[in-house]
Amino acid sequence: MSYLTDNQNNDYLLMGNEAIARGALEGGVNVASGYPGTPSSEIIEALSSVAKERNLYVEWSINEKVALEVAASASFAGLRTMCVMKQNGVNVASDFLLHLASSGTRGGMVLVACDDPGALSSVNEGESRPFARLVEIPLLEPGDFQEAKDITKWAFELSEEIRNIVMIRSVTRMSHASGNVRYERLPDTNAKADFRFDGPLSDPETGPVISMVVGISELQHVPQQEKIKKAAEIFEDCPFNTYEGPEKPELLIITSSACTLYSREAISLLNVKDRVGILKLATTWPLPPRLIKKYLSVTDRILVVEEVLPILEENIKILAAEMAHEIGPKTFYGKNAGNIPSVGELNPDIVVSALSTILDVRVESVSESFVKEAAALIETGIPVRGLTMCPGCPHRASLWSIHNALEMDGRKGFVCGDIGCYVAGLWPGGFNTVKTLHSMGSGSGIAGGFGKLRQFGMDQPVLSICGDSTFFHAAMPALANAIHHKSPFTMIILDNRGAAMTGFQPHPGTPVNAMGEAVPSLDIAEICRAMGATVEIRNPFDIEETQQTLHHLIEHQEGTKVLILSQACALSPERKDNPKYRMKVDEEICIGGNCGCNRLCTRIFGCPGLLWDEEKGVSKINDIMCTGCGVCADICPAGAIKREEVAEYVG
Amino acid sequence: MNISGPNELLENVINRNLCTGCGACVDLCPYFKSYRGKTTMLFPCTLPQGRCFAYCPRLEVDLDYLSGKYFEKPYNSDPLGFYKSIVTSRASEKFTGNSFQAGGTVSAIMYFALERGYIDGAVLTGQEGILPTPRIVMNPEDVLSCGSSKYTAAPTLSAVNRAIEEGLNRIGIVSTPCQALSTAMLRANPLEEKDFTDPVGLVVGIFCTWALDFRAFEPFIASRVDINTITKTDIPPPPAEVMEVYTSDGSKLQIPLEEIRNLVPDACSYCMDMTSEFSDISVGVLEGDPGRNTLIIRTERGKMIVDEAVREGYLIVDDMPEINLEHLKWAAGNKKKKALLKAHKEGMVNNPGKDKISYIRLNNETLEEIIA
Ligand SMILES: Cc1cc2nc3c(=O)[nH]c(=O)nc-3n(C[C@H](O)[C@H](O)[C@H](O)COP(=O)(O)OP(=O)(O)OC[C@H]3O[C@@H](n4cnc5c(N)ncnc54)[C@H](O)[C@@H]3O)c2cc1C
Ligand code: SF4
Ligand code: SF4
Ligand code: SF4
Ligand code: SF4
Repeated sequence: MSYLTDNQNNDYLLMGNEAIARGALEGGVNVASGYPGTPSSEIIEALSSVAKERNLYVEWSINEKVALEVAASASFAGLRTMCVMKQNGVNVASDFLLHLASSGTRGGMVLVACDDPGALSSVNEGESRPFARLVEIPLLEPGDFQEAKDITKWAFELSEEIRNIVMIRSVTRMSHASGNVRYERLPDTNAKADFRFDGPLSDPETGPVISMVVGISELQHVPQQEKIKKAAEIFEDCPFNTYEGPEKPELLIITSSACTLYSREAISLLNVKDRVGILKLATTWPLPPRLIKKYLSVTDRILVVEEVLPILEENIKILAAEMAHEIGPKTFYGKNAGNIPSVGELNPDIVVSALSTILDVRVESVSESFVKEAAALIETGIPVRGLTMCPGCPHRASLWSIHNALEMDGRKGFVCGDIGCYVAGLWPGGFNTVKTLHSMGSGSGIAGGFGKLRQFGMDQPVLSICGDSTFFHAAMPALANAIHHKSPFTMIILDNRGAAMTGFQPHPGTPVNAMGEAVPSLDIAEICRAMGATVEIRNPFDIEETQQTLHHLIEHQEGTKVLILSQACALSPERKDNPKYRMKVDEEICIGGNCGCNRLCTRIFGCPGLLWDEEKGVSKINDIMCTGCGVCADICPAGAIKREEVAEYVG
Repeated sequence: MNISGPNELLENVINRNLCTGCGACVDLCPYFKSYRGKTTMLFPCTLPQGRCFAYCPRLEVDLDYLSGKYFEKPYNSDPLGFYKSIVTSRASEKFTGNSFQAGGTVSAIMYFALERGYIDGAVLTGQEGILPTPRIVMNPEDVLSCGSSKYTAAPTLSAVNRAIEEGLNRIGIVSTPCQALSTAMLRANPLEEKDFTDPVGLVVGIFCTWALDFRAFEPFIASRVDINTITKTDIPPPPAEVMEVYTSDGSKLQIPLEEIRNLVPDACSYCMDMTSEFSDISVGVLEGDPGRNTLIIRTERGKMIVDEAVREGYLIVDDMPEINLEHLKWAAGNKKKKALLKAHKEGMVNNPGKDKISYIRLNNETLEEIIA
């Protein structure tokens, strides 16, 4: 039995994402789906680890839209279901989400979106919260770890009560930090799926489930808005909306999510408990108007503390404007007034500085001398390291060959990038090969477009890169489009055999699913061939052959071509702790910083498995970091880096 | 000498389209590479001084220094450079049946030098399709497979760098004039490396007025003839004014030189040397006789090997007709004057001091004589 399925009222230290998974189990979830993406991935991983025991169906879907569709089917059949993704994933799922919110749901259905303020592990800090308002569904935001569990459980009930999907939004600091969670009992696991469709179109329980009845808003949009009104009514008494502080505070903080923790800490640091109250909202859309009115009435100064965009702030201001004749004019602090930044993560210091200006109190949270000393320490102690890939990463070898082929070709060819570890291709660590970077699959869509600009005199070679998981997620339509429109470009699929960046979740190209069962794996090369592309497959660790193939592919710019560079990720189970070669630098041969090499391996190639020995003026292998891929031996101009086969290597 | 590094080379030669694609900087290290006739720098190199700069025939070429070193005199204004004698020549009957550009003098001499061990390897220019490719040849018979001129610039000297790396130390090189110049610079040990020994055994220079830009020539010729059927290209001496392209079906395509001239890279218009002045012997086509060569013998070593080859029946020589010599001098002098005048006008000659890089340095007297 897993600690996640303990059926006693015990306390456990859980990561926020585990608390959400436990909440789903307590809420009787039957089906869960998602697409991997930091900071959300651990939720599906936790649920898949207990799938057998709790009779769940859990899957890593091909992309977020499909994940939401898979989860929705279970709801239509009366089961409880959950769908999990990171913030950018909601963009992908949003097409179906809009339709789903319109058709409504049956069994409790929860969408968990994990946002990443500050884009700690994302390409941007785009928000998922506006979607709730856009598609008219309720939005819940847990303020601590206990709530992460409790609110998830409650969300299923809420969903069934209003017959629509409910969205929960977490953030990195909620999903990835840990706290104490007290368990409740788990329900029985004997749900039966029953999709009913024989009733009239107007019956949400027995009729067909459809999103749009052309021109008859009474059938869809009106009932949908009734649901959101009902949710607002329920939220008036929601136990997760809480107030702490004096009866008549000088300043009221309205906040939610992880910002609750920052606000509490700031108040205590400044010692202004008697002057400032906190209204912590778990139900941030729709806002319960009577509750808001009650608290807006206790003071005239309000500070809204939230991360990134002023969404809560604006929604509160709308209510305050409507109620102005009853509650009087208010002074608002927050993003618009410039007290809280609208980019990046917040932290207690930011709230402290906002509060100290508003309340005119001074505090030295840390002494200036400490700040100076800490800064000095950081400079001396931590080696500077540019953004690069792991030692032995196949992407380094791939980008090396791509870079060299393009430079030697000399026609200013370029690479349209994509989301994955290979974003390092933007920087010197990836040899500055990548020149566009947007959403998943977009590199290939953009490259396909560039290919059609020949008509306007653009004759540079165009390449795109995408990962194997990305190929299935969103790049297949781009490839089909390019082939159909005869766009001359080369799509390079960096196949490292799993969704490596997020922790090796399976995808349709891998032979197991989320629950560890054997499933058919789809052959990327065959798919591309069937679509009509010319396909080559190479091992990127064979630099010479890869580069020759690239030359061949880009020299004549006709047709859409695919090059699959296939090599397992250095951190993958098959390569981890399984070096193929033992590497050594022959100090006698190494040219080092002299003319003829000038430290190619450490200065340019940049694998962290190589070190520069300043004293001796030669390079050496860092035995702890080196994964024994052997690639550096092929780039050394002097043949100073030697490979020796490891007898224990499992190939 | 005024030697800088790769960044100066990039800035003053490659980025200014002065690169002849000779290959001297290629494969010395991982940074300079040649692909389809074009030399590029793959990654930045930070060294303040390097062999790439030192060997490049487009930077800090000190003609007086090189003349002093190889001919023991300062550079003078003779259109053909320093030489001992000029004759006409052709390969002997030993070589009948092989395909050469003209008389096969070059191939015969390289064959002989390799066979007799005067050189321990030959750096030649073969071809893949119509792309000229540098080759290191160890076997005399393989010399014959590299016969005939490829009229696009080739990075031949990259193979010299590789041959040195492989430990050859009496390398025979067939080079165009810019390549011969670079080779002379390499042999002078410009960076004063301590354990340096001259790795070159023989330099056979070929005449050259210009070499085409491969990347421009390939689509040009591909639009006129199936590239895979080309067996030989020739530019017969004046007054023909055509390029002849022979194909496997026995036909011959004639392209007026007028159409080809704009495929000549800018870089060639700065080249003063038509006859490979810094070589042991130089070979060109003999005007009026497509089966024979003009042969200029410049050094003691060149003379010794030619004499030997004649004595042993590999090479047949004859007197050079006066009228041919006159025409040759006129053509070479014309090229020299035009190029030096252009370089001089553009501020690339004899710049004072270390700050401003010169393409060429030579004594003022000779400079005045040539551009007068
Ligand atoms: C680009 C170019 C321009 C020329 N211009 C003239 C000219 O204006 N006037 C004139 O009299 N002669 C010129 N020649 C020389 C002439 O074509 C013959 O190469 C020369 O006369 C020797 O003839 P051969 O029969 O002895 O050569 P072969 O015995 O056939 O041997 C030819 C040799 O030339 C070398 N070679 C071929 N192509 C190249 C290349 N692109 N770069 C470096 N080496 C190469 C090969 O290694 C081979 O060894 C030119 C040659 C080239 C390559
Ligand atoms: S690439 Fe080779 S020669 Fe150059 S520093 Fe590294 S080990 Fe030494
Ligand atoms: S073998 Fe070389 S390239 Fe591979 S991990 Fe080790 S140091 Fe890095
Ligand atoms: S200085 Fe030396 S190592 Fe650097 S580019 Fe030039 S030849 Fe290469
Ligand atoms: S002329 Fe020769 S040495 Fe100079 S940059 Fe070009 S290829 Fe290199």
